[in-house]
Amino acid sequence: MFFNGKNRSRALVVVGALMVILFVCGVSYASSGGEEAGHDSTVVSGHDSAAHDSMAHDSAAVSGSEAQGEHGGGHGAHDSGKKMEDLIYRAVNFSLLVIILFVVVKKTPIKDFFANRIEEIKANFEDLNKEKKLAEKRYQELEQKLKDFEASRQEIIDQYKAEGETEKDKIIAEAEQRATQILAQAELTIQREIQAAGDMLKQEVLDNAAMKAQEILTKEMKESDQDHLVDEFIKSVEKLH
Amino acid sequence: MINSKIPRRYARALMSLGQEEGQYIEYGQNLQEFTDFCSANDEFFRVVSNQVFAIDDRKEIIERILEKSSFSDMVKNFLRLLLDKKRIGAIKEITDHYSKLTDEISNITRAQVITAQPLKGDAVDRLVLALKALTSKEVEIEVSEDASIMGGLIVKAGDLVLDGSVKTQIEGLRESLKRGEYN
Repeated sequence: MFFNGKNRSRALVVVGALMVILFVCGVSYASSGGEEAGHDSTVVSGHDSAAHDSMAHDSAAVSGSEAQGEHGGGHGAHDSGKKMEDLIYRAVNFSLLVIILFVVVKKTPIKDFFANRIEEIKANFEDLNKEKKLAEKRYQELEQKLKDFEASRQEIIDQYKAEGETEKDKIIAEAEQRATQILAQAELTIQREIQAAGDMLKQEVLDNAAMKAQEILTKEMKESDQDHLVDEFIKSVEKLH
Repeated sequence: MINSKIPRRYARALMSLGQEEGQYIEYGQNLQEFTDFCSANDEFFRVVSNQVFAIDDRKEIIERILEKSSFSDMVKNFLRLLLDKKRIGAIKEITDHYSKLTDEISNITRAQVITAQPLKGDAVDRLVLALKALTSKEVEIEVSEDASIMGGLIVKAGDLVLDGSVKTQIEGLRESLKRGEYN
């Protein structure tokens, strides 16, 4: 994430060098410590197999000195020589470490790596700033658009509300007019139906009355009535002249 | 169906000739006799008026009838002409129209009288006189009975109709009530 391809290889070189240094240090330390430990164990086993720590060594050395006399003074000179050797060895080891570190640092472009990394971070930071500005600008634009949209939305809503109100009034007016027409039509239909029913009833009454009159006249008509009717008819014809 | 103009044209033609010769009444009587004969002999009339039969056969049949009749030569020739012109089937209509023409010329009007019961006494004479005075023509009436008119009588003389029947009066009363004239 933090290293690109080139930086990553440089970092791997640095890490490898550090691992080599650590390995060398560990080996040198192990060799120096091992020799010292081996010396101690030799001393312990040579004088008292039951003792196994420094305190035991010291007590053994004390008891040994009592037993062996002069042999104790020669052993102290031998230790100082070993220490000197160890010191030299450590100095050489340290020198090697410094040299290796110097060579590694010299050979590897770690300085450039960090410099490039700084530049890269700066560039990223600037890019991010630019992007942030752009994003802010975009945000402001969108916010403005949102405000405009909100205003437009409200305007559209108001317009549709107004149109809806107009349409509602129109529909109501039409419905009222239609209702009035339906009522008038219904009233007219009722009147017609009443009239038709009345006419039908009247017709029925008249038909029945005429039929009854015909029946009565047929039964009651006499020859004298016929003669009278003929006489009246002839007189009326005579009057026509 | 024969157009009414055709019988009228033939009737007028014969009437014109009859008037010229002063024998239109005799011609009318001859036509009426032939028409009555056709009505009485329906099979004969169907044969002579049906063009399916040969014209010669039909002519021969007509000639046989005319030989035995006392019709005037003019009427015989007229009937032959009708057969040739394929108008013999309209003889009844021609005769009716000729009769009307004869009545017009003779100043006679024929009246049809429909009565519910037979006319009594001098009713017929009084009616004839009244109609004569009304139409200013000689009136010849034909009386028929129809009980459905219930009472009174109906007179039809040409285009003139005088209805004094009880049935018509009841109908008139009903229509008046229907119109609300007596409310």
